Amino acid sequence: MSHDNSSPSSLQHHFHDVKQQYETAKLGMWAFILTEVLTFGGLFVAYIVYRSWYPEMFINANLLLDVNKGLLNTVVLITSSLTMALAIWAIQKKNKNLSLVMLILTFILAFMFLGIKYLEYSHKFEVGQLPGEYYSYMGPEIAHINNPHIFFSIYFMMTGLHGLHVAIGMGLIGWLIYATAKGNLHSKYYTPMEMIGIFWHLVDLIWIYLFPLFYLIG
Amino acid sequence: MIENQKNYLTYPKGIMSWLLTLDHKRIGLMYLFGGLAFFFLGGLLALGMRLELAAPGNDFMSNDTYNNVYTLHGAIMIFLFIIPAIPGALGNILLPLMLGAKDVAFPRLNLASFYLYTLGALFTLYTIVSGGVDTGWTFYTPYSTTSTSNVIPMTMGIFIIGFSSILTGLNFIATIHKMRIPGLTWYKLPLFVWALYGTSLVQITATPVIAITMVLLILERLLGIGIFDPALGGDPVLYQHFFWFYSHPAVYIMILPAFGIISEIIPVHSRKKIWGYKFIAFSTLSIAFIGFLVWGHHMFTSGQSVFSQIVFSFITYFVGIPTGVKIFSWILTMYRGQVSFTPPMLYALSFLFLFTIGGLTGIFLGAVALDIHLHDTYFVVAHFHYVMQGGTIVAFLGGLHHWWPKSMGTMYNQTVANICCLGVFLGFNGTFFPQFLLGLRGMPRRYATYDPQYADLHSYSSFWSAILGLSIFIAIMNLLWSLRKNNKLDPGTNPWGAMTLEWTHTTSPPHPHNFEEEPVLEHGPYDYDKVIVEPTFKK
Amino acid sequence: MAHQHHITPLSTYLTIAATLLFLSGVTVWVSYIDLGAMNIVIAMLIATTKATLVALFFMHLLWDDKKLLTIFVMSLMFLGIFITITLLDTEFRGGVNPEVKNPINKRAAFYDSLPLTDTHGNPVDEHGSSHPEEDEDHH
Repeated sequence: MSHDNSSPSSLQHHFHDVKQQYETAKLGMWAFILTEVLTFGGLFVAYIVYRSWYPEMFINANLLLDVNKGLLNTVVLITSSLTMALAIWAIQKKNKNLSLVMLILTFILAFMFLGIKYLEYSHKFEVGQLPGEYYSYMGPEIAHINNPHIFFSIYFMMTGLHGLHVAIGMGLIGWLIYATAKGNLHSKYYTPMEMIGIFWHLVDLIWIYLFPLFYLIG
Repeated sequence: MIENQKNYLTYPKGIMSWLLTLDHKRIGLMYLFGGLAFFFLGGLLALGMRLELAAPGNDFMSNDTYNNVYTLHGAIMIFLFIIPAIPGALGNILLPLMLGAKDVAFPRLNLASFYLYTLGALFTLYTIVSGGVDTGWTFYTPYSTTSTSNVIPMTMGIFIIGFSSILTGLNFIATIHKMRIPGLTWYKLPLFVWALYGTSLVQITATPVIAITMVLLILERLLGIGIFDPALGGDPVLYQHFFWFYSHPAVYIMILPAFGIISEIIPVHSRKKIWGYKFIAFSTLSIAFIGFLVWGHHMFTSGQSVFSQIVFSFITYFVGIPTGVKIFSWILTMYRGQVSFTPPMLYALSFLFLFTIGGLTGIFLGAVALDIHLHDTYFVVAHFHYVMQGGTIVAFLGGLHHWWPKSMGTMYNQTVANICCLGVFLGFNGTFFPQFLLGLRGMPRRYATYDPQYADLHSYSSFWSAILGLSIFIAIMNLLWSLRKNNKLDPGTNPWGAMTLEWTHTTSPPHPHNFEEEPVLEHGPYDYDKVIVEPTFKK
Repeated sequence: MAHQHHITPLSTYLTIAATLLFLSGVTVWVSYIDLGAMNIVIAMLIATTKATLVALFFMHLLWDDKKLLTIFVMSLMFLGIFITITLLDTEFRGGVNPEVKNPINKRAAFYDSLPLTDTHGNPVDEHGSSHPEEDEDHH
């Protein structure tokens, strides 16, 4: 592989060479992904258990979610995964400007996701579809459900935790934009971009499951 | 050996060089002192409980006070001492040395782990001073969702410490996979490294679930989300599933590193190659895996389905098998070895006795019919103290005594250490063996007072707990006393004649960057049959 | 320094992205057809297909060291263990004692004080007519 063999400034002192450092970073990142799967997984367990106990709660309450917004968010997130991957592709191809464009697009799409979520949440807050004891919407769709607040609790917790990860991802992507623009990340060293990319794809992955489970059942 | 006297304790200088250190050995030392401080605090709480229980009636603690004391004792001991101590202190100091590496994979993350531990500890201290928490360290709902005590700060503390644990596990996995010197293949690793590896796998897989559980508990209290509290439509048994999915593997996080320490002490102090290296290595991974399948054996009286009771009980019986394999391997290692009765070895021998009792009684509890009677009695209390204290803490003390000369460059008074070990052994058995009998006779746990028929056994238990506490205290003071001026050993000291890399290729204490030049592996970790390494002990 | 000897081709990225968008559309379309219990199964199969594409191609697992794929699969396996064994409890309650199968109180207590509302969240009186919100005291 043709790269700079003398110690680049990116090589930390406890590693022999950049290859070891890169592979270690990747291993660490995937171990972290494992922890994220288990964290969200706990919430999936709560979903599955309550859904199997009270199917009518999920099937009917989902009528109150806006499928169009959910689908739009799905499209937004998939596209942002593409732009993130293309940002890395561009930097591998030594095209710094294209990489920056892709990163900025990813950032904007992430922001759009949160914007659409904000619209969804604010509507729910208006009509009283709130988590837990703050729940007060007793409209016709949920007439035959005993504890609709549980559905909304699970909904807000899962989409909320996911949204928090989107926000954190935005922060990380913002840092990538800065570091790339400054020239700290380039075709010979872009490990952080790749690692944050893996995180971003995980965020997309989780939404791939959240979308059908909340918006498309029933 | 390095000519100048620079070692990681003295160089670099200044408090900021410690607070902002990236040196794994310094971070390990900070974990050690943090852990010992909380061990001391947890121990005082325990002695308070034993004092109260020495006679029937509420002598100086009301029931409410007692509830707070046992909750804090449990939470502090488990989350602030036993889980972090061996990986955080001994693991951090030794792992890179055993691998021939200059540091762990992610030194800054390592420092972050320590600060998360500190932050979690602060939340715990806040909980104590602001009225305590009285739910038991298990925080079962619905009491924990409705109790007026300080549940939220305590659970926030546990949440934060969980991340400390996760990051340490992550760091160690990456380090063990990627930072070994050439030639140091998996089957040439010291077994302590295998133990840390198994522990780290469990840490990263199980701890996220306690994190989300604590979040859910906090939200249940704050918002009434309705997942765990029946008054809100939730299921309290579901809470227990979430809680124990982590907390059962957590007990393996507590014991696997201890097993690793024993695997290091016994071959060295028997001057004999370990018997069954691969058995021990693979049994570590088996325990780590099977440990994820058995959590419901903590829930036999909770109201879970009978079908799951059967499944959990059945699988629980398998988890004892790999542990038994280890015990036999250690005993076979000592057979026909040259056993020297040094403090580390005495602690290891204590471990074999005490842990076997603890492990066996765990198997008894795995039978549903028996557990129905013994659940929430002192039998369970005795069982887990035999494994956690007779097991992990005894192994931890053994490990401290074994690696003290290496990491501190001083030697403690071995006679005092041996006497303290005997005191720990006798004090421990005296405290906790009567508790098996109390439990079998129906004494419930978490009760501040009791009927007079239990008084005799309780008074014996309390008496011996004082001996236990005193012995541990003097043992640690003896270690610390060795740090006095002008008591330093020659940097080339290897008092036990061990042959793993941390002994053969570093000074005592080690240089800040561990090795002058990268070590070249010459032999296996326990090749006493091929290589002679003489103990050296000079001042 | 890049150590991917392999740079994913642009065409691969675009094809996978298009497939993901297509599958998203399919899953929405299928959800409007009533297939009973199969709806959730099909939705999960489609979601898993999409997730696999993201993991293998966007996250590069197809070409990376197999250890990384192992880590990812193990995370799903342990999640599967958590789900499955918990369901062994929750699905089989009442197996020996039927009376413990269902909770004692089906409805949380705070619902007793909540009025019915219309679809805008405004309280509805006994005649079924709604009153737009006049005050904040809603809960």
